[in-house]
Amino acid sequence: MTDHTTRNLCAKGLNKRYGSQQVLHDLNLTIEPGHIYGLIGRNGAGKTTLLSILTGQNPLTSGQVTYGGEPVWENPRALADLCFARELNATAETAQISVKEFLYAGQLFCPHWDKQFADSLIETFGIDRKKRIAKLSKGQMSMVTITAALASRAPVTLLDEPAAGLDVVIREKFYRMLLDEYTKTGRTFVVSTHIIEEAASVFDRVIILDEGHIIADAPTEELVDQFRYLSGGKTAVDAALAARGLQPLQVQELGPHKMTAVRGDAELFAALAEDPALSLSGMNLQNVFVALCGHGDEEG
Amino acid sequence: MKGMLNDQSLIYQQIAQLLEDGILRGEYPEDSQVPSTNELARAFNINPATAAKGINRLVDEGLLYKRRGIGMFVAPGALKTLRARRKEAFARDQVRALVREARRLNVTREELLQLVAGEADKEELP
Repeated sequence: MTDHTTRNLCAKGLNKRYGSQQVLHDLNLTIEPGHIYGLIGRNGAGKTTLLSILTGQNPLTSGQVTYGGEPVWENPRALADLCFARELNATAETAQISVKEFLYAGQLFCPHWDKQFADSLIETFGIDRKKRIAKLSKGQMSMVTITAALASRAPVTLLDEPAAGLDVVIREKFYRMLLDEYTKTGRTFVVSTHIIEEAASVFDRVIILDEGHIIADAPTEELVDQFRYLSGGKTAVDAALAARGLQPLQVQELGPHKMTAVRGDAELFAALAEDPALSLSGMNLQNVFVALCGHGDEEG
Repeated sequence: MKGMLNDQSLIYQQIAQLLEDGILRGEYPEDSQVPSTNELARAFNINPATAAKGINRLVDEGLLYKRRGIGMFVAPGALKTLRARRKEAFARDQVRALVREARRLNVTREELLQLVAGEADKEELP
């Protein structure tokens, strides 16, 4: 059995409703093999729901999810290749067992499981395997989730908020482990996180989920390069926006000075840079995310 | 050493720039090997695809060449090409920024030239 896959994990026209509340709206998505995807979205955007549906652990309301062209739901052949590493919490049913039992369960459910790898990771993290999961700190729970995800050796591995509760040193260590494993095996990873900027360099593709809609799905640097902050005197900025028919995203005014994020291409940015009354500066993934998903909340 | 990278420009461009700087400083002489995609990815904690994009830019520009099965090497003439190109960019970007800042500060042409000459004397620019 190999770690990597040549199959796509696809969602088509995916809708999910909990009662009368629609949480995912007509999503179309293809997870191609051999990439590390970042799934980013605000709290309640539907990230966990999407990941659980993609791995057949949560029924969809309408639409379909396929892996290599076959439906994922109750399909052991597809499920054998998919691992969903859920965020653990003290009250969950799965948290009432010991770390050792949790990893044993992983071994039973994941056909590609690498026991040696799991043991060495748990040792690296310094976790007492006899402890009940519920007794671990939030950070240690994340370490167990990360261990299960990496040791699953599943060709397509989805991690839900693996960085939650980890301090910055351990987070950097996790991203290093993830890159090492990815470089060695070519496994596909989808990682949801709300700690965006430090993870941005690890993701070669990014999917932005906003209120149950996918509003971006692109190579990370291509997406980031479509945005700039534009600033200058209010009249100069307004004139430039109007002349080029630009939609200002996330506007801030400081007396006569105006700042805004704009979306465009290299040609537009070169033209704007020519105007001495305007200043143009680069954005990072976190800035782009706030410009697209802030909906005015960022004004404070 | 992720901290070496900034977030004002794209990572692949920073990787390309980093290698260019190394060539300009003589750390990577012509026909010497530069770090591999995986070495760069590891050193900066970045996706190998991003590191590869940075290297490929330099290959496309003729600054690096590939030896099959061994790695990437600095092309003959890379140093000369880079110097010429940086000089062009220096005139276009830094000098322009300098002049614009001078205008904002009401520094006259005369004053600006004097300031530059003074600094050049201090640095003993030939």
